[in-house]
Amino acid sequence: MRTSRVETIANYAFLVFGAFVVLVPVVWFVLTALSPERSGLLDLSHLSFTNFPTAWRQANLNHTLTASAVITVGAVVIQALLAILSGYGFGVLGVAGDRVLFPVVLLGLMVSLEAIIVPLYYQLHTIGLTDNWFGMILIHVGTSVPFGTFWMRAVFRAVPEALVDAARIDGGNSWQVLWHVLYPIAKPGVLTLCLLNFMWTWNDYFLSLVFLSSPDRVTATVALGSFQSLHTTSVNLLAAASLIVSTPVVVLYLFFQRRFIQGVVSGALKDT
Amino acid sequence: MQQAPSGARAPARAPEAGLRQRDGRWDRWWRSPRARRRWLGLLYAAPALALFGAIVLAPVGQSLVYSLYQWDGVTEPTFVGLGNYVNFFTDPLLRDSLVHVLVLVVFFSLLPCALGMFTAALLGGQRVRGDGVFRVVLFLPQVLTSIVVAIVWGRVLGPDGPLNSTLRAVHLDSLAHNWLGDFTWALPTLGLIGSWTNFGFCMVVFLAGIGTIPRDRYEAARLDGAGPVREFRAVTLPGLRGHLIVALTLTMTGALRTFDLVWNTTRGGPGSSTTTPALMLYRYAFQDPQLGQASAIGIVTAVFCLLVALGLARMAEQR
Repeated sequence: MRTSRVETIANYAFLVFGAFVVLVPVVWFVLTALSPERSGLLDLSHLSFTNFPTAWRQANLNHTLTASAVITVGAVVIQALLAILSGYGFGVLGVAGDRVLFPVVLLGLMVSLEAIIVPLYYQLHTIGLTDNWFGMILIHVGTSVPFGTFWMRAVFRAVPEALVDAARIDGGNSWQVLWHVLYPIAKPGVLTLCLLNFMWTWNDYFLSLVFLSSPDRVTATVALGSFQSLHTTSVNLLAAASLIVSTPVVVLYLFFQRRFIQGVVSGALKDT
Repeated sequence: MQQAPSGARAPARAPEAGLRQRDGRWDRWWRSPRARRRWLGLLYAAPALALFGAIVLAPVGQSLVYSLYQWDGVTEPTFVGLGNYVNFFTDPLLRDSLVHVLVLVVFFSLLPCALGMFTAALLGGQRVRGDGVFRVVLFLPQVLTSIVVAIVWGRVLGPDGPLNSTLRAVHLDSLAHNWLGDFTWALPTLGLIGSWTNFGFCMVVFLAGIGTIPRDRYEAARLDGAGPVREFRAVTLPGLRGHLIVALTLTMTGALRTFDLVWNTTRGGPGSSTTTPALMLYRYAFQDPQLGQASAIGIVTAVFCLLVALGLARMAEQR
């Protein structure tokens, strides 16, 4: 198919414009983080990294990044494990009562946090799991069950059935079939699930705001929010702290961008 | 979904009969490899299901109960029936938050989807060299945490931020505003921040969809002498239908639930010009406890999201 030159140029112009609109505020922000000027004015002749250690201290990032890391890693590992097990149940073995259970889990995909947050808070409060990292992990894991189950169910269903049958005939029990036959094939799918869960858990703001309160237990995102309202005058430090907090997910994104994009797009397509 | 073996259904209705005779049908069914596998499957799914039940299902039920009471969390709750729901639609403050969120739907969802479709139409099935790079850049706002998006834009649009300084530098002082602190401008400004976040996402979704449209359809359309508009209506739009519906669902439910961005920029202000239901929920749940009202807001928001998702999914099925 021939496309006119004008058309090609118009397409590029549009894409370049889109990329420009996305990048301008981000680039401005990065340069602010590198500028010594506290008001946020750019000072391109004196760019330096000195804002980063200062911001790290002032925003209490030692504690808050630890909180984010513990909660995120804990949640991602448990989410993956439960998703593998339940995806195996629903996708390969079949689940007794799945005529009821499956639609209920399906509905869970669409239950938004708002509908559960009030009773969940007061229930967890009475058993001492608020302001508690373990409680946060439980909430992240519990709310991620529908997506994880669907994701792993689809991943396992893509494996040829003959492979599972052959392994079973060879005398493998269900546990061995899962870990020695299915899991090695499903690894890429598990990795994408982990990356998505990592992004969603690390970037969470609302749950941490509601469930964590002590300054040494809140996650980095919430700490950034309070840092913002306390230090309205040092924009460069705020920018530096923001960049530090965004770094883990952005680095993973740059490394695994295909997985992130495909994961979000295909996960979304599967949901409906 | 896996179909239950036909023999498994009848005994399940009357298990007692099977239990009485040891070699009855129920017993045989229980010992059949298929049924054993399904109970094993339940065992594998049990940890996930149990946690899901405790963290999601039970609170949904409690939320429904809470929403029928007036309760400050301390004193004895009083039953008010559907009062909290009625209040959501009649109380001026709450009704306004609903209107605001409808405005946000336009900016968060309709505008980015329209822009994305426009790009898709422009591309019209041709591959762009270097589209990987564009994709990475356009998708970036999706992976940035909401608080950072709020901080970036809060500064860019601040009274002395780069946007206003640029406007002043080119002598357009009259256009400079305190964008997020102005009664008229705050809501559309928040909306445009959402457009910024979602527009790349929509474009990436549609670019992925364009790849699945057979190229010969475009060629056929051109041979028929279709202009760009007809080509769009005949080839691109039907080919991207599923992708469009997904993008609409995700961005619309996102807009209906807006909290992080508003909380970290305007806190609902100035006045109450940028409140959203989620923000009111947070206020009523944790700042000025009216737990029944908060639960009702949560339930209504969830129902709206559900209706949007189901409604759009239906549209996807009607081909």
